[in-house]
Order: sequence, then C-alpha cells, then structure tokens
Amino acid sequence: MTDHRRPRRRGQGELEVQVLAALREADGPATAGWVQERLGGDLAYTTVITILTRLLAKGAVTRERAGRSFAWTPASDEAGLAARKMRKVLDAEQNREAVLASFVTALDPEDERLLRELLGRAKDEGGD
Amino acid sequence: MGVFVFLPLVLPLTAWPVARLAEHHLHPRVATRLLTGVAGVMAVCSTVCLGLLMVVGTAQLPGNPLPDGWSDPEVRAAVPYDEVAGKAAIPALLAVAVVCGRTLWRHARVRRRAHRALAALPATEVAVLPDDAPYAYALPGRGTRDRIVVTTALLHGLQPAERRALFAHERAHLAARHHRFLLVAQLAARANPFLRPLRTAVSYTTERWADEEAARAVGDRRTVARAIGKAALVAQGAPVPTLAGFAAPGPVPRRVAALLGPAPATRTWPSVFTGVGVAAWTAAAGTAVSAMSSANSAVTLVFILHAATPL
Repeated sequence: MTDHRRPRRRGQGELEVQVLAALREADGPATAGWVQERLGGDLAYTTVITILTRLLAKGAVTRERAGRSFAWTPASDEAGLAARKMRKVLDAEQNREAVLASFVTALDPEDERLLRELLGRAKDEGGD
Repeated sequence: MGVFVFLPLVLPLTAWPVARLAEHHLHPRVATRLLTGVAGVMAVCSTVCLGLLMVVGTAQLPGNPLPDGWSDPEVRAAVPYDEVAGKAAIPALLAVAVVCGRTLWRHARVRRRAHRALAALPATEVAVLPDDAPYAYALPGRGTRDRIVVTTALLHGLQPAERRALFAHERAHLAARHHRFLLVAQLAARANPFLRPLRTAVSYTTERWADEEAARAVGDRRTVARAIGKAALVAQGAPVPTLAGFAAPGPVPRRVAALLGPAPATRTWPSVFTGVGVAAWTAAAGTAVSAMSSANSAVTLVFILHAATPL
C-alpha cells in the first residue's frame, strides 16, 4: 500500500503512535533528541517536541526535568492511547447508536430493580 | 389526485401500532427486516410526495427555473391548497436533504474516527481497550476488517461464558450487517418524523436479533441473559454512560426477560388470523398504499406536465 520511502505525509495520530512506541523501547526516561534519532531523523526536532507535548496532554507520557531539557517516560501503551482516542470519539457523538450498536443501553432505577429481579430468578431456576 | 397526494406524508402513522406489536411478537430477524423495509419505503414515498408538491406549487413563482406550463391552472387544480402546500414543501424538502446528508456524513465520520483510534493496535478481530468505562461496540469495517471493541472494565464484570456470549452478540451484529438496518431506520426517521417510533423499534429488534444469535452460538439462553444483565449493571455506576439512553421503558430488562423465556418461533410470516398477523398485514398494506399513491401522483403529474410543456 504505502511506499517504503514514505513519501506521504504522516498523520498526527500515526506520529503519536510512533513516538510512543519509540519511548517504550527506551530503557528509562528518554530525551526528545533520542526519540528523534530513534525514529530515523526525518522528523524535525520541534515536531517531536510537539508530539510529545500532545501526548503529555493526553496523559500518555510523563516528563521530568533533566538538566536543560526534559526526560520523557511513557505512561501508557498503544492500547491505552487507543482507549483514550476511542473514548473521545464516543463522547463527541451523541447519536452514535446509528453506527455502533452497543451491547447495553443505560438503565433507569426502575429498570435496574426489574433487572436484578430477573437475574435473581434466573439464578434460582438455573441453579448454577 | 386530490387529497391522496398528501397521503404518503401521514401514512407512517399506521406503522406505530405495528412497530409495537412486531417488536413483541415477531422473531427479531423478521421484525427488523419488516420494520426497516416499511420505514424505508414510507420515507421514500413521503419525500417523493414533497417533491411533487414543490414542483406543482412553485413553478409559477417569479424567477423559478421550471417551465411555466408546469404550474398551469389545470395542473394546480389537481393539488388541493397548491400554493400553500407548494411553498411549505420547499423548506420541508430542503430540511430533509440537509438532515439526511448530515446523518450520512456523521455515520461515515464515526466509523472513520473509530477505526483510526484503533489503527495502532494489532489487526485482530477483538480490540480490548484498557478503560474503566464499561462498553462494547461492533465496529463495521469499510474495506478494512470488522472489529469488536470492548473495554477491560466490561470484561472484568463477566464470567468466561458470559464473555463468549458478548462476543457472539457483537459478531452477530457484524455478520448480519445490522448497521445498515440502523442507518436506513435513522434516515427514514429524519425524512419523516412520524417514522421515529420505527427507528426506536429497529434499534431494539436488532439487539434482540443479536441476542438470539448469541444464544444459539453459546447454546444457552440464560448465559446470554446474564451477560446482558450484568453488563448493564456494571455500566450503571460508570463515569461515562454507556450510551445516551432511549427514553422508552428500558430495552435491557425486556431483552433479558425475552431471553429467559422460550426461543421465538422462526415462522417468517404470521397468519392473518392472529393479532400479530393483522398488524403485520396492516403495515404491509399501509406501505403498499403509500407507495402506490406516491407512484400514482408521480405518474399523473408527469403526464400532466408533459402535456403542459410545449416541447
């Protein structure tokens, strides 16, 4: 699908994933310069900083001062980042029922009482 | 044509009692197909009807690009209250176009964004997300593979057999392409607000359909019932509501109760001599009348316009 030489512009989401993956390969905290080198050097230093800052805002990385720059540590893995993104997608869509059939919908108190009663009865009869 | 032109606009009202009866008494697969079909046909008919009213009622307005002959007095005589109806039909038709377009666009956007959110994960069928909001979704693919999204919070609340039931339920959504039924019902409800109860009914019957498929796959109705019940209760205390709830008396207890009862009969079409049969046949008749009166109006209009146009 994509060329080996990566001529197309990479999306920001894709860059975030790559930066996070690079950080997770480091032994302990790493600097932005280390991340830039690790990613093959075709990214500008400022881009790496931007991506890291965005990841920080999402809670996916933490940082601490190390001399005159920051040392970055991953706070979550790719799945954690995906979970955060998915939550954002879901929160942004009020009428997502049209697209994503959900396993359960919200219960009101009366539903909850009824449901507990049904489950209790099922347990008695099923005997497990 | 007379008042029959307006018929497709209000005929969807006949579908209300039908939706209620169908969702209770028909097999969910039959009910989903029937209600989605009825909703789709009625929405198309009511939109055609709006289009005809607009053409006839507005062709004589100054600056209108339509041939003047189209609003010949004879043509207009065929439509009662032609001027008012015609002018009212313009904003109505525009609203339908805008709202339906937006629904389609949003549908595409949610799917695209959801797939993008998962892009970094290994391309497995099930994507487990570490999140304390308990939710599960079936995410239909577009050229890419279908995926099932489930969070650790939801999985932790379920026993292994119940997890299998959950996955079977989501797989059933994907295998039967339930999102298409949901989208058609959604668009229909946008095209004619009288069709909204059908959308609610279809979203319930698709869930029931997937529940029944899951019960068949797992081989135990009670396990599926427990999985749904537990998932709903886990979602109760969650920081993020699983889904903006439908106002109707909760679909979840109804689904659980249905699973605790016997499996629904798989007859495809009920006899006329039962209550359900009468309802189903009424829906079919309503749809047919709606379709025929739209078609009738359209054909008549085309003939009149053809006669009135000096070409």
